[in-house]
Amino acid sequence: MPDWLQSLLGENLSFWLGYITNGKHLAFYGAFQFNLGAAVLGSVFALMCGLGGAMLLRSRFAITRTIGFVYTNIVRGVPDVLFFLFFPLALEQSVEWVWAQRVCTAEDFVASVGRWPPCTDANWYLSTPEYFLLACVSLGIVYGAFAANVISGAMNAVPAGQLEAARAYGMSHAQVMWRIHIRQMWIYALPGLSNVWMLLIKATSLLSLLQIQDIVFFAERLGAPNYLPRVGLVHPDWRWIYYLVLFLFYILITYLSEQGFAWLRRRAGRGLITAEG
Amino acid sequence: MDAFFAPFLNDIRTLAFPSLFNIYFALASIPVGFLLAIGLAVAKNSRNPFIWRPAAGYIYAFRGSPLFIQLFMVYSFMLSLNLTVWKPMGIDWLVLHPLFLGPLVLTLNTTAYSAEIFFGGLKTVNKGEIEAARAYGLSRYRTFRSVTWPNMIRIAWPAYTNEVVFLFQATALVYFTLPVIDEQKDLMNKASELFEGDYNAFLHFSVAALYFLVISLGVFYVFGLIYKRMMRHMVPTTPKPRIRYAPKFLR
Amino acid sequence: MKKLMIAAAAMAALTFGAQAADTIRIASEGAYAPFNYVDDNGKLAGYEIELGNLLCEKAGLTCEFVQNEWDSMIPNLLAGNYDAIMAGMSITEERLQTISFSDDYYPPESSLFVVPTGGTVNFDELKGYKIGVQGGTIQAAYAEDNFGADNTILSYTTADQSIADLAAGNVDVVLADGGYIKPIASSDGSGLEVVGPALSIGGGIGVGLRKEDTDLKAKFDAVIKSMKDDGSLNEMIKTWFDDPILF
Repeated sequence: MPDWLQSLLGENLSFWLGYITNGKHLAFYGAFQFNLGAAVLGSVFALMCGLGGAMLLRSRFAITRTIGFVYTNIVRGVPDVLFFLFFPLALEQSVEWVWAQRVCTAEDFVASVGRWPPCTDANWYLSTPEYFLLACVSLGIVYGAFAANVISGAMNAVPAGQLEAARAYGMSHAQVMWRIHIRQMWIYALPGLSNVWMLLIKATSLLSLLQIQDIVFFAERLGAPNYLPRVGLVHPDWRWIYYLVLFLFYILITYLSEQGFAWLRRRAGRGLITAEG
Repeated sequence: MDAFFAPFLNDIRTLAFPSLFNIYFALASIPVGFLLAIGLAVAKNSRNPFIWRPAAGYIYAFRGSPLFIQLFMVYSFMLSLNLTVWKPMGIDWLVLHPLFLGPLVLTLNTTAYSAEIFFGGLKTVNKGEIEAARAYGLSRYRTFRSVTWPNMIRIAWPAYTNEVVFLFQATALVYFTLPVIDEQKDLMNKASELFEGDYNAFLHFSVAALYFLVISLGVFYVFGLIYKRMMRHMVPTTPKPRIRYAPKFLR
Repeated sequence: MKKLMIAAAAMAALTFGAQAADTIRIASEGAYAPFNYVDDNGKLAGYEIELGNLLCEKAGLTCEFVQNEWDSMIPNLLAGNYDAIMAGMSITEERLQTISFSDDYYPPESSLFVVPTGGTVNFDELKGYKIGVQGGTIQAAYAEDNFGADNTILSYTTADQSIADLAAGNVDVVLADGGYIKPIASSDGSGLEVVGPALSIGGGIGVGLRKEDTDLKAKFDAVIKSMKDDGSLNEMIKTWFDDPILF
């Protein structure tokens, strides 16, 4: 910190400013990228899963409809945290199992009861970026199930006349779907999707459970009391202050999201006659 | 076939006791949250800004932040008050116990969500009915008791059912944030412990998921029965909205 | 779509089992000063970090420290997310069933009870106390076996959390490893003190390794032995611990 700033702020204030901008705290601020990034990437996956799920739910074949029903209901019937822990593990183990069939010997399989993977060559190394990606995919699958219902409902809300007109113009089934049905669905889906987004953004607080050093991880570590001068500033338990900051951060994000969605709704609703006029 | 089912049944047995903790957390927080939420919804509906603003602020804050962080925050905050407040009062053994603190935070959380649902119900209660009641000379309390409240709860019940299921699922987070005492472990805790024993993610987490799914279905069934009873006076020709197993995006 | 899948498969193939050849990843908790902690610069530091880097240098290995929570430390080693553990992990019979350890690089140290200064614990009849431990440690297992019947055992995910709850009066006494707890109890600000008997549970602290990685174990063992012989290990312990136990 430059001297002039230090003298301007006074000893106390510049000390605290120095403390909250030390390397540890900068790493903490950097960790916000994980939570925000997971929200953005997770919602992209959720939209993809939601569209796919809605297609399944509305499909002409009973089998695909059943798959859609099972997907949307099973995923929503279990806690998000359970799926969040389960999916990356399950995917990792499945990939390793497939790989193990190729690279491990039969003796490896016999010797490896109660251990995983069967042999080290079949080990799929996952580090933070991969876990992060898997976490985003899990978020996408979980909240895609919610989005699927929203989208499916919104597609029902599209006036039938619009679709009939499109068909009368000679569009194929796929053309009606992509050019008319899905395009017009968004305005009806927006309120529901904004709800899903609010759920998803809150679920990003769970990242630390997958060994990702996100803001919750840092809040715990930075707030924990320290009594050893060699480690850093000696301070008692400050965790609640850090959690309070995170609490306020998420409220702020919720507020900003609401504003964003209100803007989006106004934009998407141009030229449409709705209850609000 | 037996080799496949035996570990499965074994897990169902092992996880039966832990599931009671999740059920306990839900049962301990839902009734209190229900009552508080009605009060809070009425408060938010008030015309007095000193009443509706704090109520709306509370609802906004607790709906706008993750339960995971609420749990951490309340625990560490209560802990920081331990020596100055709880110890002198002699209730420190209670307030910091996960079996008390868990339901406390869940109650704070579900109160906010339920209040928003009930508030929505209040807004949609037919104004004409309320005016008619007032015109009959019913007191404000009497009007609420006999006209507003029954209408509100009927409107809000399907959404409230979803909230209860969500809350039950949210109990999975409690032991990720609070210290574990002796063998008091919930479904998630026990399932992770079993997983660390043999790395069989598919088995243990599926059984835990099954518990959550079955109990959620049970909640839908019971709340559906209550709903049917609530709506029994409705004229059968009007198509009544049905509760079905469909956790919605309302939360 | 197909192209994407091929790319994904290629990437996956690259990361399969390849890590054994190049970088050795060492996991540490980063919340167990002075063994391992995160310093003000946000970097891992501590006795084990300095030693680990030196071990690798002397053994001609390229190493990298990664941070991992304590409770999933051993599962993630077995799952191959890293190759070694240096996280104040004592060598015990139970752990030796799933993983192997190098020779100890920190001698066996007693576990100690700490209380807020002035607090009294009746060790002749340990009954009705709330005892805090870090979950998954030898102290946790010991406390559950020996005091679990008459007392309440609270397990925390990090050792720092148990100390926070002790300082805040939520537990009466914490049982922890001497190497970790002595510096805290003797520091001015903590308001904690060591009481009662010193318990010898568990062996020294070694590098946790997968059982099949015998080459790695041999390399670490050789360097640790040479450092014990020439006294440099003791010198390093002295720089990190005020009241050290030496080999």
